[in-house]
Amino acid sequence: MSALGAIFTRELRLAFAGGGGPAGPAAFNLAALALAPLAIGPDADTLQAAGPGVIAFAALLATLQPAERIFSEDASDGTLELYALSPVGLALSLFMKTLAFILAVFWTTPLLAFIGGLAYGMDVGSAFVLALGLAFAAPGLAFIAAFAGALAAGLKRAGLLIALIAAPLQVPLLVFAAGAGRAAMDGTGLEGPNLMMALAGSLAALALAPFGAAAALKARLE
Amino acid sequence: MLTGFSLNVEPGEALVLLGPNGSGKTTLLRAMGGLVRPVAGEISLDPQSVAFLGHADALKPSETVEQSLAFWARLYGGDLETLDQVMTEMALAHLARRTCGTLSAGQKRRTALARIALSNRSVWLLDEPAAPLDARSRERLARLVRQHCAAGGIVIAATHVDLGWAGARVEDLRPAPTKTAAGVG
Repeated sequence: MSALGAIFTRELRLAFAGGGGPAGPAAFNLAALALAPLAIGPDADTLQAAGPGVIAFAALLATLQPAERIFSEDASDGTLELYALSPVGLALSLFMKTLAFILAVFWTTPLLAFIGGLAYGMDVGSAFVLALGLAFAAPGLAFIAAFAGALAAGLKRAGLLIALIAAPLQVPLLVFAAGAGRAAMDGTGLEGPNLMMALAGSLAALALAPFGAAAALKARLE
Repeated sequence: MLTGFSLNVEPGEALVLLGPNGSGKTTLLRAMGGLVRPVAGEISLDPQSVAFLGHADALKPSETVEQSLAFWARLYGGDLETLDQVMTEMALAHLARRTCGTLSAGQKRRTALARIALSNRSVWLLDEPAAPLDARSRERLARLVRQHCAAGGIVIAATHVDLGWAGARVEDLRPAPTKTAAGVG
């Protein structure tokens, strides 16, 4: 197994260990989906119209929930130093770690989006497009949250800082993922471009966030 | 923190940086490993030749001793075939399947030292390597260091207590009036 494969496999195992995995963010996501209608009201048309936005926003909140713990343990237990000195280097190590963490923790996001879409009164096709949009956007949302987690690693009240840093950067992904579902629901034919923009934004975050996270954590080491 | 400091370490040599808390040992060690940039001066050491042991042992509570050692050996290009031998030398064989979260401080330190031994790196930078170790474990550490130096490796350890390593050079980092450099053997 290659060094990168070893990091990925280990981080996947660690993400599931100790009662971790997708349970926390999925519960957070579900709670947001279940509580939002209480505030919006019982009107079916209103709920259906608000559905894509509420579902995408719940997914965004779910990516922020575990961001604080992605790097905080590594920062305090000496793992970061060892990654920094490894042949793979800190940036690539963090990329593999974050990728494994996202796969372990956020694989439920598209599934919950699809179920949520149906629950909010969307038709199957539109709910599927919304789920696809969030499948494209979720890695980017999570990488941006991880970058904010790296900036705030080891700080007190890091959760607040993470939300303040990550949320504005996540807005475009939120807009395009929700936009895809809404376009499918309204029949405007714009779901394709929205999906492509969500994917492009996600890929940009995948390309840039690990270097930002590595720079932030390297500065913390010094 | 440290000024006017210069040292040269040859292959096969063990160097002990001895000094009280706050004397700059850890900073110096981290600078040698490329983890901290010195404010001024020069360090000629390739970070890719370094195996680093910090204050923390870099162990995950849910991971077994064997899993942890195998992972780091694989990442650092170490020889996995010597895993059993190193675990035996560090008295970890019976703990191989124990999760790191259940180990005592001394057992965790021995696991971290085994990781260093498996790293396939020529320069070992050890920060307070013997702090939680009992007398027998300190002997094991001293043996490990002797073996590494005999194979042409370099060991640089920062400590506030005498490690009792026969043949090691000791660099005293205490404040200037009492500063001395001496060999012990």
